[in-house]
Amino acid sequence: MRSPLLPVLPALAVLALLFYGALALSAARSLGIPPAPGLDFPSLAPWRLVLSDPAVWRSAGLSLWISAVSTALSAMLAFGVAVLIRQAPAGRPVLGFLLRLNLTVPHLVGAAGMLFLWAQSGLAARVALAAGLIDGPAAFPALIWDPWALGIVLVYVWKEAPFIALILLAQSGPADAAREDTARTLGASRLQVIRHVTLPSLLPGLAAASAIVFAFTFGAYEVPLLLGASDPVALPVLAWQRFTDPDLAARPQAMALALLVALLSAAAILVHLGAVRRLRAW
Amino acid sequence: MRAGRLAAWVLGIWLVLPLVPVVIWTAARGWRFPDLLPADWSGRAMAQALSPSSGVPQALFTGTALALAVTAIALALGIPAGRALGLARFRGKRAVEVAILAPLIVPPVAYVFGLQALFLRLGLAPSAAGVALAHLVPVLPYVILVMAAVFAGHDTRLEEEARSLGASPAQVFVLVTLPAVGPSAAVAALLAFLVSWGQYLPTLAIGGGRVATPPLALYAYISSGRHDIAAAIAVLSLLPGLAVIWLTRRAFPRALPVPP
Amino acid sequence: MAPRAALALVLSLLPVLLPALALPPAARADTADGARLIGRPWAEIEAEARGGEVNFFLWGGADSINAYVSDYIGGILKERYGITLNRVPLTDTADAVSIVLTEKEAGNTDRGSVDLIWINGVNFRTMRQGGLVWCGYTSTLPNDALVDWSDPSVARDFGVPVDGCEVPWSGAQMAFAHDSARLAEPPRSIPALIEWVKANPGRFTYPAPPDFNGSAFVRHVFYHAAGGVEGLLGPFDQARFDAVAPRAWAILNGIEPYLWRGGATYPNSIAQLQTLFANGEVDLSFEYNPSQFGVGVENGTFPATVRTFGLTDGTLANTSYTAIPFNSPHKAAAMVVQNLLLSGEAQLHKARPDVWGAPPGIDIDRTAPKLRAAFAALPVHPSVIPAAELAKSALPELQPEWIAAIEKGWIENVGRK
Repeated sequence: MRSPLLPVLPALAVLALLFYGALALSAARSLGIPPAPGLDFPSLAPWRLVLSDPAVWRSAGLSLWISAVSTALSAMLAFGVAVLIRQAPAGRPVLGFLLRLNLTVPHLVGAAGMLFLWAQSGLAARVALAAGLIDGPAAFPALIWDPWALGIVLVYVWKEAPFIALILLAQSGPADAAREDTARTLGASRLQVIRHVTLPSLLPGLAAASAIVFAFTFGAYEVPLLLGASDPVALPVLAWQRFTDPDLAARPQAMALALLVALLSAAAILVHLGAVRRLRAW
Repeated sequence: MRAGRLAAWVLGIWLVLPLVPVVIWTAARGWRFPDLLPADWSGRAMAQALSPSSGVPQALFTGTALALAVTAIALALGIPAGRALGLARFRGKRAVEVAILAPLIVPPVAYVFGLQALFLRLGLAPSAAGVALAHLVPVLPYVILVMAAVFAGHDTRLEEEARSLGASPAQVFVLVTLPAVGPSAAVAALLAFLVSWGQYLPTLAIGGGRVATPPLALYAYISSGRHDIAAAIAVLSLLPGLAVIWLTRRAFPRALPVPP
Repeated sequence: MAPRAALALVLSLLPVLLPALALPPAARADTADGARLIGRPWAEIEAEARGGEVNFFLWGGADSINAYVSDYIGGILKERYGITLNRVPLTDTADAVSIVLTEKEAGNTDRGSVDLIWINGVNFRTMRQGGLVWCGYTSTLPNDALVDWSDPSVARDFGVPVDGCEVPWSGAQMAFAHDSARLAEPPRSIPALIEWVKANPGRFTYPAPPDFNGSAFVRHVFYHAAGGVEGLLGPFDQARFDAVAPRAWAILNGIEPYLWRGGATYPNSIAQLQTLFANGEVDLSFEYNPSQFGVGVENGTFPATVRTFGLTDGTLANTSYTAIPFNSPHKAAAMVVQNLLLSGEAQLHKARPDVWGAPPGIDIDRTAPKLRAAFAALPVHPSVIPAAELAKSALPELQPEWIAAIEKGWIENVGRK
């Protein structure tokens, strides 16, 4: 009797090698185990160096800030967009197209657009100058390369809010619409319907999608690389700097940093799975 | 309703806004503060971007070839796996699902360092083949999970009937299964193409600078201050996405997850 | 309908995948053994190089340089020798050094992915110390005769003896720039600049080291803090460094609140600084390659009123080179490329302000009379200060250990927030 697992095995084998194998190799390297089996004992030195380095904590803090704010804002905005699209039939095809267009835009393209738009000498600043609101680039708020990573958050909210919104829209069905209609006919106001019917039904999907967004924005590299300040840098950027440092001694530290990111993503996965389980219960 | 209308307009503008300066830059020859529009218009940026010396046509070709290769491998491995996961019940199925979900959620920075070290030993780095394998990490799980969702809603009775009528497994697959799940598989394939198309760090780490794809070219030109050529590359990078939207315009399935 | 079209599209493209999957690995190691190439007649080396390929790794941040290498040099190589030149752009030369280093650690001695690097300074020293670079062959190149090896600024790369391990390519000297329409009289020395920054808050910044140009600016301040460059030349002296560094950090920290963004962040690269300068967010800029300002005026990046200038207390000048890694599998072809780069014609073309504008790395007086005349007749872009005039106040570069210490010191004492 052929095991039902058989067709899954080739894919699993590929992932086992490319993903789990890579993680295992990172773990080994972060413990000082060299590629060629030598007489070096595993060493905790890279981890000790990483965990005692204030630059690492500052970078980790920055990445956490970026992902927390991006996820929260994206989730709230996505909820609003989902409600809007479901309740406002006019313009839905156009909005649907724009949302899906947004999904296909690579993150770097979005980052480039934000750079051109929100730099202190960017398009928005020039409009403000023409409108007499500012008198020079320095008067425009610093959104790019700024210590609060506002430009980075803007890019992620711009990309991830539609992502979450489309998931929410895909998961809500006629049953939800029926429930909302029932509530309306029972006399509930629009706001009450949203708060007591729509929100609870969308919440599991929201949580599940948000966990994915959190993990993604915590570990993303290219947007902070382009729009981030020079110090501190986001954790993935710091990891890459250590990885490409000509001083090979920094490499095990880079591996440790990579694993730190993996661990946090694992936590996000658990949250996601928990939310999905609740969603299935609905 | 008026508030809803206004909100819809605001949303629409907000979605399009960052792309506006990108499009303007593609036709600009010098666009300095405080000019609202470029002082000089020119098709030079796009022309330069499309000339071989900029490296952009090669990047477009490599990016496309990579994404096609990765999608094909992911389909070949992922459709059978997705079918097994979607239809079968077996012990440890949950664990398998989680094991497949993880590479989708864990960011590239977590595994590309180890992957590069691994591929260096195997002679796969730097190389385009290595980059293709690196792209498989986010793409394969995506295809598997999508196909699993599709097959979960798939009625196998038609296939059973065909088998009972004497059709071979291959015939059943081609004549019954494929037409039923094919369209969804195609949509999944197109979205998987986009995942590979937009990858940055895996291509950089495994390609070692030798494998140029549009995201790498885009970053290179932005960081060297050539906003006009960067904008041209950005616009070219949007084309596969537009093609995907057009190809899937009538069949955007409700339950189909999309990449972040 | 559309999903079926999508399915058909995907299936029909499958035949494309097989060739894409079979993308070729690194080309065969035809001339990895360098020892037998040294001293051979040039015609034989050219014959061996014919039809090969060269992976040339160089900083890709300037479009004009990319075009010169890919179009002009690449074109001649293809036409004359059938050699395919693969220009691999780098954000940082250290990335290429890192590749060769990793390959050496992995035991790769004849299948390297790097055939030629544009290099000098710290990176060259790293390669020398690590045994990563191929040496001893340079006199085999016919155009090596055009190089004035008796000139110490050529024979020593940031104080490190070249020793036949690399071949000069271009000269470079730092120059500053201002927009004469916005700022009529810029500060023309480091002390004047420091005063000017404090009097004009938010109008100046510099890229954070280890950016090449940002690091050079910090070294100018370091020379000023040391009261001159004399005591700093020669091998690294920790005591001397510890005496001078605190003064330099004090100066840089002192002007930090008066910098762009109040010093909260520094531009990540020289290109970012140029964009700020082009848009008028800062009033001053600088570059090791002042001809880039001319190129920028021509392609619309900068206004035509931009003017470059040197400093009365001198600016850093150096030579940059090309080197062949020890494990390059295409050494013969790489030698042919280097020979072409050294040739009078290629150096002349490179010196043209509308191409690159880089000062030659060869001794012009050793070239043919016609070329010498052509060099003398080169047009000068109004925005670019002539190299000869700038050279009158040239300062020597420090040895790599000094530079590494200065960069590290800046990151820890100034850059860290």
